[in-house]
Amino acid sequence: MNGTAERRARILVMLARAGHPVQTKSLCRVSAEVTGATGAGIMLMSGNTPGGSLCTTNEMSDVIEQLQYALGEGPCVDAYQQDTPVLEADLANARTRRWPAFSPPALRAGVAAVFGFPLHIGATRLGALNLCRDSAGSLDQQQYADALVMADIVAESILIFQSKAGPGGEVAAELEEAADFHWVVHQASGMVAAQLGIGIGHALARLRGYAFANERLLADVAKDVVARRLRLSADEMGGT
Amino acid sequence: MPWSYLSAWAMIARAVDIAGTGMTRTEASREAVLLEALVSLADTLVADFDVVDLLASLADRCVEVFDVAAAGLMLVGPDGALRVMASSSEAMRILELFELQSEEGPCPDCYLSGKVVTHPDLASTASPWPRFSAEALAAGFRSVQALPMRLRGSVIGALNLFHTGTGEMVSADIAAAQALADVATIAILQHRAALEAQAVNSQLQHALNSRIVIEQAKGMVAERRQISTQEAFSALRTYARSQNLRLADVAQAVVEGSPSAPPWARLPRRG
Repeated sequence: MNGTAERRARILVMLARAGHPVQTKSLCRVSAEVTGATGAGIMLMSGNTPGGSLCTTNEMSDVIEQLQYALGEGPCVDAYQQDTPVLEADLANARTRRWPAFSPPALRAGVAAVFGFPLHIGATRLGALNLCRDSAGSLDQQQYADALVMADIVAESILIFQSKAGPGGEVAAELEEAADFHWVVHQASGMVAAQLGIGIGHALARLRGYAFANERLLADVAKDVVARRLRLSADEMGGT
Repeated sequence: MPWSYLSAWAMIARAVDIAGTGMTRTEASREAVLLEALVSLADTLVADFDVVDLLASLADRCVEVFDVAAAGLMLVGPDGALRVMASSSEAMRILELFELQSEEGPCPDCYLSGKVVTHPDLASTASPWPRFSAEALAAGFRSVQALPMRLRGSVIGALNLFHTGTGEMVSADIAAAQALADVATIAILQHRAALEAQAVNSQLQHALNSRIVIEQAKGMVAERRQISTQEAFSALRTYARSQNLRLADVAQAVVEGSPSAPPWARLPRRG
């Protein structure tokens, strides 16, 4: 009997008991529970950039997902791109300042430690599992080992869920249930592109720039644009 | 696909519950072996593993835990015929008993019905499988069970247990053997699914990308027509249906400003 198998069996039993049918929310909750984290979130990547969040357990983990989506940097992005766990046990006193845009707002949101674990099955890479804590400190050996097994189970589950999607090429309903795929940001990009006569990529960059310059969440800025409470002006960072 | 992890979790939990109910000495040792078997099976979920090896160890475990004389597993092939995949014994007589079951026996009956098939005394005149019964008796067996390897509607094979004595298996043993067969079934189906991981991931990425383009097009149309994003979505969907086009393709045309976009969604002429 090896340790990984025991961990896997134990986690599967926890998931089985977390409710039937198993939902993405249970995956997040059990991830936080087995690793002693304050919060957990599951990020899907789209190409090399964050695509959306399948679930988060609390506000702290939600902020971490939102910031990474808006800024394109953070523990999940690194874990995915490097395909290896990324551990920052003390974000306020990090030895390497790797996330200049992500760290200050994350610290303001109360994040003291943050960890990213890649979600992959063999060569198939999907995203990253994010764990966070409200006090500084490393994962102990058991928690780290559990996080690796948990990440495998999450990756497998995502594909199992998607394999049940209808033939129309949609995202599986089970995946969308608790997810935030930032659809409103894409709607806002379309509106800004039409307003300013610029390309979609450029419009998204303008929205990101505006959110960053005004220290606001990208999602909130996008909601204001779609509700026509905010209109970006043609000159650089401005808005009315 | 007619199966999912959800069943795997539920079944492992059920198997753990079953294993935990035994209190006698025999049942306590059964519990220990069963749990160990479950743990090793859980480890094979999706990870690289050899299906034949998994089934062989399952057959050995059955002999060990349930006090049966021999155990074997038959899986259905792509041609619909049952084939022996693993046996606790390589004795010719036993292998022949499985071979015979391509025509008649408890395994095909179990596979076709999806239910447990049991025969408490093969020597009785009422055997539904005269050739099989004669061969089994000659090999020293008096009673048999076949348990389905199934998940929801799909049956992929059967677990065959042989006894030297007559009589039925106790129901707790049947339940535990069924739990082992269930987990093995899931492991096999998971393994098949892992091979499809790459394909499913591409499909997921494609689905996300199409959806992103649709949301972008909604925003563009909402702005150009000064309508809500919901109304923009309805307009795009109605157009796609009326032109017999995919919504994602219409959205792509809008976002790219292509001439094939609906006229009302294009950039107004400046002039």
